[in-house]
Amino acid sequence: MHGRGLNIILGVYVALIFTFVFAPIFFSLVFSFNSQRFPTIPLGEFSTEWYAKILSDPDIWQAVRNSVIVSTTTAILATTLGFCTAYTDFRYNFRFKGPYLALILLPPTIPLIIMALAMLAWLSRLGLSGQLWSIIMAHSVLTAPFAMAIIRLRLHQMDPDLEAAAWNLGGTEWQAMRHVIVPFCMPAIISSLCLTAAVSFDEFAVAWFVSGLNKTVPIVILEIVQGNIDPQVNAIGTFVFLTSISLVVAAQVIFISRQIKSHS
Amino acid sequence: MSTKHKIDLYALTWRLPIILWQLIFFVGPVVFMIAISFFVVKNYRMTEAFEFVNWQRMLTRGYFWDSYWYTLFIASLSAAIAMMLAFPAAWALAFRASENLRRWAVFLLIIPFFTSYLVRTFSWYVILAESGVLNAMLGYVGLGPFKMLNTHFGTVVGYLTLTLPLAVILQTVTMANIDKTLVEAARNLGCKPLSTIWRVVLPLSKTGFVVTALFCFILAFGDFVAPFYLGGSQEPTLPILILDTTKSGQQWPRAAVVAIMMMLTLFAVAFTAIMLAYRKPKGAR
Amino acid sequence: MTEPLVTFRNVEKRFGDFVAVRNMVLDIHEGEFLAIMGSSGCGKTTTLRMLAGLEAPTAGEIRMAGRLMNDVKPHERDTPLVWQSLALFPFLTARENVEFGLKMRGVGAAERKRRALDWLDRMQIADFAERNVATLSGGQKQRVALARSLVMEPKMLLLDEPLSALDANLVIRMQGVLTKLQKELGITFVYVTHSQSEAFAMADRVVIMSQGDIAQVGSPKDIYRTPANRFVAEFVGRNNILSGKVLGGDAKGMQIATPQGTFTAQTPQTPLAPGQSVSFAVSADLLTLSETAPDTVNKAQATLISEEFIGSLVTLFLEGADGMEFKVQMQERALMDLDLSPGTTLWLGWDAANASILSEG
Repeated sequence: MHGRGLNIILGVYVALIFTFVFAPIFFSLVFSFNSQRFPTIPLGEFSTEWYAKILSDPDIWQAVRNSVIVSTTTAILATTLGFCTAYTDFRYNFRFKGPYLALILLPPTIPLIIMALAMLAWLSRLGLSGQLWSIIMAHSVLTAPFAMAIIRLRLHQMDPDLEAAAWNLGGTEWQAMRHVIVPFCMPAIISSLCLTAAVSFDEFAVAWFVSGLNKTVPIVILEIVQGNIDPQVNAIGTFVFLTSISLVVAAQVIFISRQIKSHS
Repeated sequence: MSTKHKIDLYALTWRLPIILWQLIFFVGPVVFMIAISFFVVKNYRMTEAFEFVNWQRMLTRGYFWDSYWYTLFIASLSAAIAMMLAFPAAWALAFRASENLRRWAVFLLIIPFFTSYLVRTFSWYVILAESGVLNAMLGYVGLGPFKMLNTHFGTVVGYLTLTLPLAVILQTVTMANIDKTLVEAARNLGCKPLSTIWRVVLPLSKTGFVVTALFCFILAFGDFVAPFYLGGSQEPTLPILILDTTKSGQQWPRAAVVAIMMMLTLFAVAFTAIMLAYRKPKGAR
Repeated sequence: MTEPLVTFRNVEKRFGDFVAVRNMVLDIHEGEFLAIMGSSGCGKTTTLRMLAGLEAPTAGEIRMAGRLMNDVKPHERDTPLVWQSLALFPFLTARENVEFGLKMRGVGAAERKRRALDWLDRMQIADFAERNVATLSGGQKQRVALARSLVMEPKMLLLDEPLSALDANLVIRMQGVLTKLQKELGITFVYVTHSQSEAFAMADRVVIMSQGDIAQVGSPKDIYRTPANRFVAEFVGRNNILSGKVLGGDAKGMQIATPQGTFTAQTPQTPLAPGQSVSFAVSADLLTLSETAPDTVNKAQATLISEEFIGSLVTLFLEGADGMEFKVQMQERALMDLDLSPGTTLWLGWDAANASILSEG
């Protein structure tokens, strides 16, 4: 093909796609430091007004606190669930393994709005709705498949003899789990904790339905957005973005660097 | 290693808790949602029953079907647009970019999935507004202003925010896995570039592409944020219908009917798509 | 001889319909170096895994020092295994790997460290004790794997093709290390391999397996000189296998009619009736080659087709009457006087004692 010309056209095209994808993130960041109430270009003055506003808002602090509790607890629960499933899939073959795996892997394929309604109805029936725990339970179901996928991937890289080697050297199954499987999976476990925390931190549909009065950060955003144009959202968004990205990057770095280390 | 009928405590420890957890917090909600679609609401209180009144109510209403077909249409349209917009970029990344560049591109495209979709939508709201960033830029070259918010265009932009990165990633991965020698062989046999894409690249990536399109469709079909904030919800989609019926109307059973209809539609679409994706090409045994 | 360390009595292992090991009867003695050899899928690794308790027999009994072991769990046994993949723990250092088994057995940290370092020193890799095993070379990893098993001070060490990942020079070196270790420690080694050279170079006794059955058990020399059956004769290679019908014979030898003529072979333990179809094997290095008819009991004429050199060792390929192929192996020096251009007709000769009759099956 006409190499150079085509490459330039394609390069510009790819750049346009990336612009589309990153424009909202970029403008959110820029406008969070912009003095205008209704931001547009040309930009207004540089201002930290919106940050000052959110930092002095006790509701937002409460939401942050809630979000941290929800996302860390969710991460721990989902990673535990994901680990158990990944290990079972790695180690055992049994009848109904297909349905067993479907049971944990299916939730993300159902639209969040439907899960939100179902969770709301069910949890209020059980008398569990309207608490932070409600969000945690729902989120653990939604994020466990991601944990399962990450840890399963790691187990796939493990020499299948490793566990048997531990038994062979006198370790019980429990000891082999503690001294071989868990240490081997540790990078994936940490990655999984970061990623599930990040997903939970951003999830709003289900959280909004089941949370009652316990707002998390995305619910606060949702409520502000519903009201009016308010650049506070950009400031909160930037904060949320930084949190999520640090978690994702941490997960990547840990997972990839460990892989390089154990493969060199 | 132990005899078959003895209970293996170790194996059960890793298996049983998840089964219970998922039964209580996943199967339970979904089954219960199906159940409540048969409940009745009297004086704002839901009572257990087995009546088809909610089904009758929803499925005979014009506004439900208007919303149903509109959602199906706009979600399909946006999935198609996402697929087409993604293709040249994915093709470039798969066939023209170095391995390293491709990996970075995919990594960058994963980032949006971990940023708040709400914040991104709000950002689009500001960008697309009557006096927003895009119209201001267009104004410099003497165009516009255009009305972009509260239109189908706005809805589709919102959906694309969700689906375009995914479409590019999945298409790129699909095409990067094609055996390059097949493409070269086709070129070598005198196949023109475009017809190589049509006759070699697309057939080889059919499965991946169908699955990608399916994901795009599912994401758009279930999203309430884009049609609500950017589309102005003048024509409510099914998720907005669920939202309104649940939040303001307290009519959970009717919302459940909508939700079940959505799930049935998704199953049907997914089933068709997967059959299509894995159907053997003509002439194959 | 004292009671065997391990006895297999009619042991069978099935995986669904597939029979991996069939009706195995085998004794393993204390202090011997036993090699189990065969091609992939012959059941050799399954046998080893049953010894380690990683597979349970579906029928029969395995006893160790008299104790029935069929359902004893792997961690309750004293049968450390050196894995084909080595299965070193990649997140631990060399020393921690060696300490692993002691840790599982509840040995205190200081004692563990001392014993681990001791063994690393003995394996001449003490310098690498604190290195992550991922950074070690193939030979070093091999030594860590050996130390990890031997630090347990077992009565029996299991080895599953431990040298298969190493390059040729290192294989020879490690063979030396292993035989020396085995002699020094005086413990039993059960060594699974597909490589004849490894088995024959190291083992006191060799078990040859084929499709789940034991084809022959014996010293390397026994197997080499008197293969029990066609499978072993072919597997060991270098054998010329001739087929014919029994004419008759006495304790000194059997006469067998073949398309090449009538030959005399060693009389087998089970007598053969005249008229019966039979095969016998003659090792390639026991054939003589000459321009004129030799004065051995058996002789045949054949045409030279090609030759192959491996160092100073030459293998000649010849064709006899009826398309019968012969292989002759000898030192190059011994061939100086012969005209070795292809197409030359030469005489082959061998003694009756060097022709062993193969049992069918």
